[in-house]
Amino acid sequence: MSDQESEETLSPEHSSVTTSAQQPDTADIVIEVDDVNFSYVKGTEVLRDITMDIRKGEVTALIGPSGCGKSTLLRCINRMNDLIPTAAITKGEIRILDTDIYDPKVDPIELRKHVGMVFQKYNPFPQSIYENVAFGLRIQGIKKKPILDEAVERSLKLAGLWEEVKDRLDSSGLGLSGGQQQRLCIARTVAVEPKIVLMDEPCSALDPISTTIIEELITQLKEEFTIVIVTHNMQQATRVSDKTAYFYLGELIEMDETIKIFNSPSRKETEDYISGRFG
Amino acid sequence: MSSAENQDSPAPPADGKKVFKRRGFQIFGLGLQDVIQFFFSGNASLAIIILILICFFLAKEAFLFFPDHHKDLKSYRQSGQEFVGFISEEVKAHTDLYSTANIAYYAEVNRTSGKEDTILRTYRTVLANVENRSAKTWNRLERELDALEDVVDDLEDHDAEDEEDRAEIAKLTKEKNRLEALTQPLRDKLRKEVNTIIEWEETWDLGVGADLPAEEDIAKIREAVLFEAYPDAEDEHPFIEEMKSVSKEKKAVVAEELAEFKETTKAMQAAIRPLKDLERELKKPADENKKEITSFSTAPQRRDAWLKGAEATDDPDEKARMRAKAEEVVIEEPDYEKINQVFYDSIAKHATLAAPLEVEMKNLYEQLPAPTEVETKSAKENLKRAAVFYERFQDRMVSNRKQIKEWRHDASISVPESVSAFLFGRDWTTNSSWHDFYGLLPLFTGSLLISLIALTVAVPFSIAAAVYVNQLASFREQSMVKPAIEFIGAIPSVVLGFFGILVFGEALRNLSQLEWLQWFPGFPMAERLTILNAGLLLAFMAVPTIFTLTEDALNNVPQAFTENSLAMGATKLQTVFRVVVPTSLSGIIAAVLLGFGRIIGETMVVLLVAGNKIKIPDFTEGLGVIAQPAHTMTGIIAQELGEVDSGSLHWRALFMVGMVLFVISLLVNFTAQKVLKKFQRI
Ligand SMILES: Nc1ncnc2c1ncn2[C@@H]1O[C@H](COP(=O)(O)OP(=O)(O)OP(=O)(O)O)[C@@H](O)[C@H]1O
Ligand SMILES: [Mg+2]
Repeated sequence: MSDQESEETLSPEHSSVTTSAQQPDTADIVIEVDDVNFSYVKGTEVLRDITMDIRKGEVTALIGPSGCGKSTLLRCINRMNDLIPTAAITKGEIRILDTDIYDPKVDPIELRKHVGMVFQKYNPFPQSIYENVAFGLRIQGIKKKPILDEAVERSLKLAGLWEEVKDRLDSSGLGLSGGQQQRLCIARTVAVEPKIVLMDEPCSALDPISTTIIEELITQLKEEFTIVIVTHNMQQATRVSDKTAYFYLGELIEMDETIKIFNSPSRKETEDYISGRFG
Repeated sequence: MSSAENQDSPAPPADGKKVFKRRGFQIFGLGLQDVIQFFFSGNASLAIIILILICFFLAKEAFLFFPDHHKDLKSYRQSGQEFVGFISEEVKAHTDLYSTANIAYYAEVNRTSGKEDTILRTYRTVLANVENRSAKTWNRLERELDALEDVVDDLEDHDAEDEEDRAEIAKLTKEKNRLEALTQPLRDKLRKEVNTIIEWEETWDLGVGADLPAEEDIAKIREAVLFEAYPDAEDEHPFIEEMKSVSKEKKAVVAEELAEFKETTKAMQAAIRPLKDLERELKKPADENKKEITSFSTAPQRRDAWLKGAEATDDPDEKARMRAKAEEVVIEEPDYEKINQVFYDSIAKHATLAAPLEVEMKNLYEQLPAPTEVETKSAKENLKRAAVFYERFQDRMVSNRKQIKEWRHDASISVPESVSAFLFGRDWTTNSSWHDFYGLLPLFTGSLLISLIALTVAVPFSIAAAVYVNQLASFREQSMVKPAIEFIGAIPSVVLGFFGILVFGEALRNLSQLEWLQWFPGFPMAERLTILNAGLLLAFMAVPTIFTLTEDALNNVPQAFTENSLAMGATKLQTVFRVVVPTSLSGIIAAVLLGFGRIIGETMVVLLVAGNKIKIPDFTEGLGVIAQPAHTMTGIIAQELGEVDSGSLHWRALFMVGMVLFVISLLVNFTAQKVLKKFQRI
């Protein structure tokens, strides 16, 4: 809790890093990836020289061929890679709200409460819908029923699931359809009011209709959260994202306004990938 | 073989037969695949067939028990043994009450001489241990000393004045000197041995327990033992004599104080005598009746046996003799009414004895001191138990009064009655000269108690270990702990049982003497082989089963759950206890159930360690019941099946016990599978 306050009171100091971003204004930069190298096993860099700014209230899409390191970057941002013993950032920093998240003083547990993550494979816990959404609050030690009730209702509404499940909050989360389960996971993530929501191919296991619902949801959520989404679906990137970053073999090739990337990319590799002429 | 050709030359498109032909190795039109499949399915079905055969055999032998048992119960009733049994029940209820009061009295009498009694007990035990360990030298010295004594006696018989005796005397004197020269080094040797033995810690551990006397007294006991440790030692060491007399005096003082208590217990003992006499008096006719009934029921078989023998032999004399024997066999049904008359006649007598007994016992019970009026723990506890036994005695008298009055030798035995005589029978008595009872309850409660103890110990331990190893331990710890625990499963149970008898039982009893462990139920324990001992060893045996299955269940929790939880900002521990364990709960429950199945079916350890006392454990001791010995369903089968005649009622009863075990195992496994399926949603 105290950590949360300290992070909130951190004044977003102006940073000197400037990328190819259009806005010279750096006031609302939330995530700053600064010249980062990352390796799972010592000696083989999976990410190289990644530098990018992610701004508040925007949806940033990460695209690129399989194995280029999109998920890896995402997991660096909430330090999920800490779970792999040998994995480490070998160069550079990642700053969130101007705090170096790999600083020894930063507690990864606290960090993850502020940087939520939605996974490709939807995975509600085998508990009731209510308990699933309340999970994040419960582990923070909140027990008061009214607070939990309120949070559950608000989060389910945010995730557009409230109308569908409000009568069966006590039934198992696993009894929902795939799309509903993924929205339940989104509700679970937003229930703790994180600043940033990371999404790793959230729709790739869903049918087109569920995909549309979740895409709409993302555009609504961006008002409250900063969203980074990994996707293999070019249309999806154009539909939901404001910025797009194209990765190739562990390097950030290009990052710009989505419209620009898809209409007139400045790099040939990007154009090849987008137009499907990718070998 | 022809297929090779097919492969080489492109098949003509029109000739479908050739193209689609089976290829490769074939017998009887079966391909290799089919043969392999047939082999495996054959093995599987063989296993199933054998299983079915076992079930069938078991069920056939077991269920034939009920008709036989029914007949047996009927003869128990017709012979009047049942009637006597009622009186025995009353006597037994009284004995329980009386002996508990008596134990309380003696515990209380000894209350001030505790120190001396401990010294004396230690002295006796250590002396016995020393004698045991120096037995070889001891016995030799004893022999030589006996011989010496004989020689000395002989010498005294001879007269030195007598001419004739002189030669003899010279010979005897020589022998005497030789023996004296021999005993001296033996004596030294023994002294040396005793000195070493008494320094050994074991000498003091063995049987003395942790309840040792004070430091300065031990020094004196040591001295007394050294003094006494000779075959020809005469008087006791003064210290021991002093202790004996002090103890006696102290007891006498308390006994005077408790004179009334003693009177009460004595009166209790006296009160039952008339009823006991009646019991003894009636046992004889009942026994005779039983013999008569048995001989009647086996008569046709005996006659058939003679006739068969006559058929078989060729010798005409022999044939005639056997025929005659067959004729001699009388098949005459006893006149039940007549042979039971003696019991009907004694109903009135019983009534005249029972009513005053009840009144007197009520008075005597009220005269017993209250548990608060005595000082020692044992007396308090036994007086509390006496209250329970008094209640039981009263109930017994009331219910038996009715049963005795209404008793009829020819009352029929219903099927439920006969079945419940087995399932809920409180006695398992076999090879008795009176009547054999086959009641499951003592064995069942023994098995159940032991299993419960094993589970209460093994379940938390195994689950905690599995959670730790699976979720929290480092890789190194995992690779050490897992094989270690799994190795337990490889220990043969007979080895464990052996360990339980020789090491663990003794250690446990010594532990139970410790002052600061006295809060533990059943401590201090008098026995080595107890329910607790068996339960703890079985817990040890069940750990690998529960551990491994729980670990499997935890492993089955998808990694994604852990990842999701951690990504929500949960700590590792929160993830374990809020996500992983609840998710694998069904698997854990199944693990516990299967662990239970493992425990209740275990035979060797309980046979060796549980004490094998066929009696329903005495629950008046509360949780202390775990310090008692017991017998189990598995143990009884292993112990008795080898010795009974096949086809006898006893034999069938053992099969029936096996059947009950089988059904329990089946139910446990079935429930475990159900639980697993029901919750398996991931
Ligand atoms: N736990 C790990 N240990 C070692 N190497 C890993 C690990 N996870 C991923 N990698 C490697 O890191 C590289 C980047 O993987 P990453 O999962 O980030 O790719 P991605 O861009 O998300 O691909 P996809 O689109 O298929 O999900 C790959 O070469 C992969 O083999
Ligand atoms: Mg990925």
